[in-house]
Amino acid sequence: MSTSAASTRATASGTTPRRRRRRWTFDKISFLAVFLGVPLIIYVVFVISPFIQSIYYSLTDWGGFSTTMNFVGLANFKELLSDDLFLTALRNNITLLIVLPVFTIVVALIFASLVTVAGSNRGAVRGLRNSSFYRVVSFFPYVIPGVVIGLIWAQVYDPSSGLLNGVLTKVGLHQFESYPWIGDERTALAASIFAMAWGGIGFYMVLFIAAIRGIEPELFEAMRIDGAGRWKTAMHLTMPMIRDNVQTAYIYLGIAALDGFVFMQALNPTGGPNNSTLVMGQVLFRTAFEHGKYGLATAMGVALSIVTLAFSALVFAVNRLLGAERDVAR
Amino acid sequence: MTESIGSARLDRRGLLRGSLATAALAGLGGTLAGCATSGGGQVKQETGTKSADNPFGVPDGSTIDAVIFNGGYGYDYVQFAADQLKKKLPKVTPKVTPSTQIAQELQPRFAGGDPPDLIDNSGAGAMTFNSIQDQLEDLRDVFDANNYEGTKISDTLYPGAIEAGTFGGKVLEVNYVLSLYAIWYSASLFKENGWSVPQTWDEVIDLGAKAKAKGKYLWVWGKEAATYYQTLAMESATKAAGDDFRLPLENLKPKSWSHPAIQNVFKALETCVQKGYFKPGGAGTQFTKAQAQWSNDQAAILYPSGAWIENEMKDQTKEGFEMTGAPVPVASTSGEAMPYNAIYSTAGEPFIVPKGKNPAGGKELLRAMLSKEASANFAKTKLAPTIVKGGIPDDAFGSTALASQVKMLNDAGSNTFRFTTIGIYGMNTDQLVVWNNFLSGKIDAKGLTEGLQKIMDKVADDPSVKKTKAT
Repeated sequence: MSTSAASTRATASGTTPRRRRRRWTFDKISFLAVFLGVPLIIYVVFVISPFIQSIYYSLTDWGGFSTTMNFVGLANFKELLSDDLFLTALRNNITLLIVLPVFTIVVALIFASLVTVAGSNRGAVRGLRNSSFYRVVSFFPYVIPGVVIGLIWAQVYDPSSGLLNGVLTKVGLHQFESYPWIGDERTALAASIFAMAWGGIGFYMVLFIAAIRGIEPELFEAMRIDGAGRWKTAMHLTMPMIRDNVQTAYIYLGIAALDGFVFMQALNPTGGPNNSTLVMGQVLFRTAFEHGKYGLATAMGVALSIVTLAFSALVFAVNRLLGAERDVAR
Repeated sequence: MTESIGSARLDRRGLLRGSLATAALAGLGGTLAGCATSGGGQVKQETGTKSADNPFGVPDGSTIDAVIFNGGYGYDYVQFAADQLKKKLPKVTPKVTPSTQIAQELQPRFAGGDPPDLIDNSGAGAMTFNSIQDQLEDLRDVFDANNYEGTKISDTLYPGAIEAGTFGGKVLEVNYVLSLYAIWYSASLFKENGWSVPQTWDEVIDLGAKAKAKGKYLWVWGKEAATYYQTLAMESATKAAGDDFRLPLENLKPKSWSHPAIQNVFKALETCVQKGYFKPGGAGTQFTKAQAQWSNDQAAILYPSGAWIENEMKDQTKEGFEMTGAPVPVASTSGEAMPYNAIYSTAGEPFIVPKGKNPAGGKELLRAMLSKEASANFAKTKLAPTIVKGGIPDDAFGSTALASQVKMLNDAGSNTFRFTTIGIYGMNTDQLVVWNNFLSGKIDAKGLTEGLQKIMDKVADDPSVKKTKAT
């Protein structure tokens, strides 16, 4: 890949000049200065410099409330690896990272297929009846801020007066009377993941609908004429055609899962039963603002960003291994 | 042509990859940009001339920058004092700013060397005292000064008020509100059922059975406030064993949670859990909701809390509830280090004056708050006593809770005690996990003891945590 890119560039600039040499006019320079220079400066000041600064702070014992600090090298990172609370949070984040995107994407894909191509088997390929209504309704949760979603679901899960236990006991499941969904280790993380997915499904559904709409309808019709059912159509036509969108969704959901702070803080500010819903962001927050160890907290931030980058790299690598290049590139 | 299309695709992919990395970095940068120090050293301190009316020498024309926690007590009472100050020193401008997130808001100002002149360091987002105590003014001269009515301030206070803010021999905080801890109940409900307030743990368990017979629970708890039961246990154990229990605990000594005095309480609570006297589901219930199950639904009949409970639940208390406090139960009413009437009473709502621009102004505003008039205003509007004696009439403004506070304070006399350092190490969140497990019945008293000791040992063994000796 990269070699062909390099060779393309080499041809463009060197041996066989196709274009004339660029001449630096005032127009060109001022254009570059405004459209390239200004964003670059903003980027360096607001993105790169805090990043470098935080790497530096992660190597100190800064307490946060003074201007003095000592350089301690990698001691903070060593402490992180032996900090059981941080490791618990890391483990929860990784569970989230695996479960949340898969669950959200699968449900969103099913919904998206239903409203676009899963309608009647006769006539043109279309979605279920009233699909535009479903589309709008399912987008509602995404409009609500994460913290509100967290608070809403905390009420739904309330053991004594929550909606969920109310419904369950109404239908005769009396073992759910006072069952603490987010207060019991067995269900806390699953219940939290469900609330997070609930907030995100509508958005990813709309994303996939747009992608499916981009596929030529003739392909679906051809598939149907060949006798493929809905499942086969979804697996062999829809999925490969919208692969890039799924990948993007996976990465965004993964980053959301690695963060998860807003939802978890609203659902279970204390980290849940036995810390089963504690995420790294919460440990970071606690280390900085409750324990006054800003150096260590910054090291956590750096660790978090390393995990995030590793995750993005992994998704790209896996996607390529699964043969993204062979599929039709659009 | 084909080649150029291919390379265009490559570029798009490369760009996407780059932008993802950027997104990740931006996320991090955004989080931590707030932590960056803005540089610069200590601000120059302003000084003025001292006089009888201006004992700390607030400079003319200066501004007093006060940041006040806007929680259960609001911040208008500081504004009231600021208005008093303005009358005394017309050339000074006090500026009172409310905040609900003290640490997040003030950390950059501390790091930049420009802290406010007076801070009410309170609430869930309070700054860890440990990380700022080296930058605070000694406030002893505030207590040595005369108040606005001309009396020496230290002579107007309840006992223990100054000690509550003393750390390592220096007065670093003025704790303004007098608070006490108790078990709270509905006097009308108890009367209706012919129940009496339990004085020993055996009586507590008996009452549990009686409540159960009426379809009620004895206790209720919420997930963020599970450690109220830890405070309850610590109070009861301190009444039983005094400093023999309290000092090792506060100085983070090994095995301090294994002291027989607190083990007795843990065992009694374990019995309550096993017999189903705790309303189930607390580990998944928000604490104010849980409290409303006690004050409004009356699903549970007792609740251990501080004196702020009346104000906190004002809107969610049943009509005719008659909220009343009683001292916490003891193992036995005789042979203990302190009598049953002893209470955990301390001054809360810590006001601090950092070494900043106008510390004299911060102290002057404190002096205004400690005046008879400002403190009476607080008692009247917040239904809570300040550390300044008097100001509460006999009818306690019609509040049964406040009346019971005054009664408990009088009954206790000199038998009050307090915990000095247990709260300054930021252990509460970790302890909540263990307490939620215990109250849900997931672990027994032994597991609770081990869990709490492990948290304490971790802090004790951490050389980066500055320890303060408890006395």
